[in-house]
Amino acid sequence: MPDLIIDGRPVRVPKGTPVIAAAESLGIVIPRFCWHPALGAAGACRMCAVMFLDGPVKGLEMSCMVPAADGMVVETFHPEAVTFRRRVVELLMANHPHDCPVCDEGGHCLLQDETISGGHALRRFPGRKRTYLDQDLGPFIQHEMNRCIHCYRCARFYQEYCGYLDFGPMQNANRVYFGRFASGPLESPFSGNLADICPTGTLTDKPGRYKSRRWDCQRAPSVCPHCSLGCATVALSRYREVVRVEARENPAVNGHFICDRGRYSFGYAASAERPRQARADGVPTSMSTALALAGTRLGGVVEAFGPEAVAVVGSARSSLETQTALTALARAGGWRGPAFFADRTEQQAVAAALAALAGGRARSLAEIGQADAVLCLGVSPLHDAPMLALSLRQAARAGAVVAVADPRPATLPLPFTHLPLAPDKLPGAAALLTGAEAADAAAIQRALPLSPELWPALERLAPAFAAAGNPVLVFAPALAAQAPADARFGLFPVLCGPNAAGAALVADADAPACDDLARAIEAGEVKGLVLAEADAAALSPRLAAALPGLETLVVLDHLPTPSFAAAKVFLPTQTLFESGGTLCNNEARLQYAAPVAPPGEPVSRDGRGGHPPRDYARKLPGTDPLPAAALCAVLALEMGLDMPALSFAAFTGVGPEDVAPEGTRATRLPAAPTAPAPPSAPPGQGLVVVRDDALFATDAYGRYAPLARAQAPAASVVRLHPDDAAGLGLADGEALTVTVGDRRIEATLAVSAAVARGAAVVPRLPGWAGLPAAIGPETLRRRQP
Amino acid sequence: MTDILCGILVMLARMAVVLAVVFGLAAYMILVERKLLGRFQVRYGPNRVGLFGLLQPIADGLKMLLKEDIVADGVDRRIFLIAPAIVAGAALFSFAVVPFGPTFAVFDRPIAQVIADTDVGLLVIFGLSSLAVYGVALGGWTSDNKYSLLGGIRGAAQMISYELALGLSLVPVAMMARSLNLTDIVSAQATLPFALSQPVAFAIFVVSALAETNRIPFDLPEAENELQAGFHTEYSGMRFALFFVGEYVNMILLGSVTAIFFLGGWNGPLLPPIVWFGLKVLAVPVFLIWTRASLPRLRYDQLMALGWKCLVPLGLANILVTGALLAAGR
Amino acid sequence: MEEKKDKTGLLREVLDGAAGLAGSYAATLTHLFRRPVTEQYPEYKRPMPARTRGRIILTRSPDGKERCVACYLCSGACPVNCISMQSEEGPDGRRRAAWFRINFARCIYCGLCEEACPTLALQLTPEFAFCKDAIEDFVYEKEDLLVDHGGKDPDYDFYAHAGVAAGRPKGEHIGEDEPVDVKSILP
Ligand code: SF4
Ligand code: SF4
Ligand code: SF4
Ligand code: SF4
Ligand code: FES
Repeated sequence: MPDLIIDGRPVRVPKGTPVIAAAESLGIVIPRFCWHPALGAAGACRMCAVMFLDGPVKGLEMSCMVPAADGMVVETFHPEAVTFRRRVVELLMANHPHDCPVCDEGGHCLLQDETISGGHALRRFPGRKRTYLDQDLGPFIQHEMNRCIHCYRCARFYQEYCGYLDFGPMQNANRVYFGRFASGPLESPFSGNLADICPTGTLTDKPGRYKSRRWDCQRAPSVCPHCSLGCATVALSRYREVVRVEARENPAVNGHFICDRGRYSFGYAASAERPRQARADGVPTSMSTALALAGTRLGGVVEAFGPEAVAVVGSARSSLETQTALTALARAGGWRGPAFFADRTEQQAVAAALAALAGGRARSLAEIGQADAVLCLGVSPLHDAPMLALSLRQAARAGAVVAVADPRPATLPLPFTHLPLAPDKLPGAAALLTGAEAADAAAIQRALPLSPELWPALERLAPAFAAAGNPVLVFAPALAAQAPADARFGLFPVLCGPNAAGAALVADADAPACDDLARAIEAGEVKGLVLAEADAAALSPRLAAALPGLETLVVLDHLPTPSFAAAKVFLPTQTLFESGGTLCNNEARLQYAAPVAPPGEPVSRDGRGGHPPRDYARKLPGTDPLPAAALCAVLALEMGLDMPALSFAAFTGVGPEDVAPEGTRATRLPAAPTAPAPPSAPPGQGLVVVRDDALFATDAYGRYAPLARAQAPAASVVRLHPDDAAGLGLADGEALTVTVGDRRIEATLAVSAAVARGAAVVPRLPGWAGLPAAIGPETLRRRQP
Repeated sequence: MTDILCGILVMLARMAVVLAVVFGLAAYMILVERKLLGRFQVRYGPNRVGLFGLLQPIADGLKMLLKEDIVADGVDRRIFLIAPAIVAGAALFSFAVVPFGPTFAVFDRPIAQVIADTDVGLLVIFGLSSLAVYGVALGGWTSDNKYSLLGGIRGAAQMISYELALGLSLVPVAMMARSLNLTDIVSAQATLPFALSQPVAFAIFVVSALAETNRIPFDLPEAENELQAGFHTEYSGMRFALFFVGEYVNMILLGSVTAIFFLGGWNGPLLPPIVWFGLKVLAVPVFLIWTRASLPRLRYDQLMALGWKCLVPLGLANILVTGALLAAGR
Repeated sequence: MEEKKDKTGLLREVLDGAAGLAGSYAATLTHLFRRPVTEQYPEYKRPMPARTRGRIILTRSPDGKERCVACYLCSGACPVNCISMQSEEGPDGRRRAAWFRINFARCIYCGLCEEACPTLALQLTPEFAFCKDAIEDFVYEKEDLLVDHGGKDPDYDFYAHAGVAAGRPKGEHIGEDEPVDVKSILP
């Protein structure tokens, strides 16, 4: 622990800390361009020069390159250092274009800040400026290479930190260029971070191009709702519209970065399709009319059939506040529910996954980066939880062994072993790697007799896992039973929605699931349903099919889902950006997303591209939506119910006031329920249906975000193992017709050995939700021309 | 019977003439003040309404009449409404005893150019002018506003203090005229105005009178850069106009009183008496306006010191000397 | 203090005071006979200097294109927040204002926006008398603000200096080198 003095103030920092970071811990921000806490030092920009007066190093040195050492005396404002830094800026500006007014970085540009604070205003250099041709880097990043100051942050992030190689430095000397070999979309699913880390306007956010200046935006800490990890974000909104989402530093979760799904899927909130007006029997009406109607209709059902005839359904995408309010509403009315999960098994699985975290076994995303062996069981990192892939890469860079046991093909920007195994084989494989003793070849062959191609890999992995001091099991909730008793193993479940953990905590252990409600509707026991921020079609096809049997269906939502179209009474709700809310992520960490955008139709649409109407008396359009929790309260009032004041503290042990900025772990986890039965082989000859997420537009919100939807593959893809494809007589690339219920979906076939034998990998889209657990040739058919 | 009727008629006529003249004068005095001040400051003053801005007072009057009469919350309504009337009323009543010229005859009836020729005219004027302080003090107090209150208190203190000096300056006048009747006082100056025979009393009178009318340099009750508008901060519309007009009526009254007490009333060579009187009456407001353009406002302590430590002793001494001289002369 | 109280001191003070009073009366009296300096406005309109701060215009560059690049600097500088706009990319690739609005009812004509404007697009003109009956009419849109000349600086062209390839290819702006050949293997 070196002790040193910076600007006259003593500080003690951990060994290996660079002086620039030591100064930052004192609140002294030394100017820098290339150093980044996550990327480390490159010594490329020479901007962080400070004067070392005493200690092992003396003279003008780069504070990012010198590790803090005992006895150092550092002065950041030494005249020599200040002059040096001023010269550095002047040199950088010698080639910098006269662009600030048309540059999107202006206003939050590190180069601009340093130039202005250093007082450089007049160009003394008479020479000409270097220029570069730009590239089209795809839909997310705008390239303006003239502005580059060659700090290498982008290259270090893209290649070293993320492990993608299609973007990087080229050429030498005064011609160094950062780009791709040729124009084309960036391959990395983390490319959006380039806009955040590039200290200049070279790489800027393309979707937000020419939209706003940072100073005009309302900004608030938010939480990403596009997978269960709950990465910290900052949402920027202007003129009643979220214009950008940026990464927020949360050292315990996502560190400094977020994935592109989280960054570019915000469009659902301002989308033109978003329903913003209440509806009664499909006809737009006022909020008060719709609420009164919902009250009368539900009241009528209660009167005719008793309170048990009304049920409430919520989902894993609502905030804890909403889920709690739904519970309170159901309790007040004596109604059924709320149901948050498709079936009992899923609910139990999530509860079991959370229960397993008790006793300090939960690991955070940051801790996975420090693990020395990671097994992903039934989880495809890049698709189920993209930022997990980045953490795995950091672990792998530090030498960790990474194995992914999953039926779906997996690509990861790191060396890893993929074990494509059908779901029913996964428990066996897990047992081989999570035992205290390394499994021997015989055990491996006994466990997986039909996959000889995996034996060598498993034989390599088994001793590595057995020897690991800090291994982590990343698992899907269905495999919660496989969580090893071995306390060495940290646990990291990956769940099915941003607040799935919250739903599992809030739901009663004996609460009905959607399938139970569907059964009750079919039996005529349930006549009225309240669907709150839940899409029946995506949640449970059976429930969606049962909806017509209802007497009244009240839908509360902000997405134009099929359930919205089916609603008898529709009540618009606010999004997380508008109402704020608390989400509980996969490691049971509660995080608060602050409201950032005022509700209402965005100004851009209000003015139809021109200036907004000049009418001071008018009510702002689209301001009807209310927070779902508030709607529950009004509905209760409307029906004369006495809704108990319930806080989510009752379910999580953590109250709203206790949620720390970096999140707080729930202290009340489910008491270990009976772990779900491990997936079993399907009866008969079918292929097990495995659902796969894409990076974009398969999550509940992304499906309704125009930008994310534009990135989704044009055609749905079904993936099969070559043996299975051969068994069905199908070839790679063939056009298929898939029969789902009474509908037919068109898809193409992709055949790959990376798919588990006996599995059919289909996209996780609502249209595909109706597929049975196992399918055969009658479902997958060659499309007749 | 006809006598009585004629008397009443003449009385009414006199009152009507006096009121009309005084109000007309007051209104145009405002215009004169604004124009003169303008010229003192090398600008034009109002010149847009009518020829040379001659219709400006009418426009202003109309504007005031049409303005909303705002009565602030928390004021004592009755007093609030009466206060401006007291100020204007006291000034107007005083004109009842002011003689404008010597008695003349119509159809052999002697017609005095005064509404009420009383023997205690000096005391009446004095008494009425003391009443004005109620308007200021009450208006300030009832407005429920700290600036108004301060203005009202200042006004009360200032007017009471200077009343003393004012009274003392008039004692020698009464002594020399041997009467309190204003017509007699004028007659006593047939040869020499008291301004010349009683210069000290005259000086004290002018200074105290300035203070009594709350005009610069003694406008502390409404000192706008300290108290917004002092006692009339909360007044608007016609009520404000009453305060305003009251001030100008006061100026004219002051002119008349000065003319009578010190400038020899209507006495003067060549011109008819009424013209002389008019000229003398107008000279005083013009002087006041000139003063306003020339002098800065006194500080409050200076104001009090001037009144109590300088004017009052001086006035007393002056009385003693006058008395001594008169006794010696007898 | 002591001297002030003796007779000569007091007398001098009185005389000084009297002289002071007389002096100020004399000063005002002489003013009374001077010619007023007031200019009679609607009859006589004084020619205003070119840099007088009055109604705001958006000028055009020498090639006749809109100068404003919707950089938000003027709206950021405005102390009363009376400028609002939305930037967008025009058909020629240039950044420009989709709409641009100044509320002259709020503007205090401080000129900070003009100082902030990096493209010399926004300029204050000497026109100061533009009364309206309705306060909404003081809200000027881009089409009301845009003029067809370059105002006080007719020659400046921001896009001739900037490095972005909007209209002019890379390397053809003032003071620029040819674009670097990334594939060259020459040293
Ligand atoms: S990168 Fe920064 S300094 Fe360069 S043009 Fe953009 S805002 Fe200006
Ligand atoms: S593109 Fe940005 S991050 Fe990359 S080297 Fe240039 S300035 Fe640095
Ligand atoms: S002149 Fe001043 S107040 Fe008016 S628009 Fe410009 S910056 Fe704003
Ligand atoms: S500062 Fe100039 S260029 Fe920028 S938005 Fe305002 S008028 Fe347009
Ligand atoms: S930050 Fe140290 S050299 Fe760039």
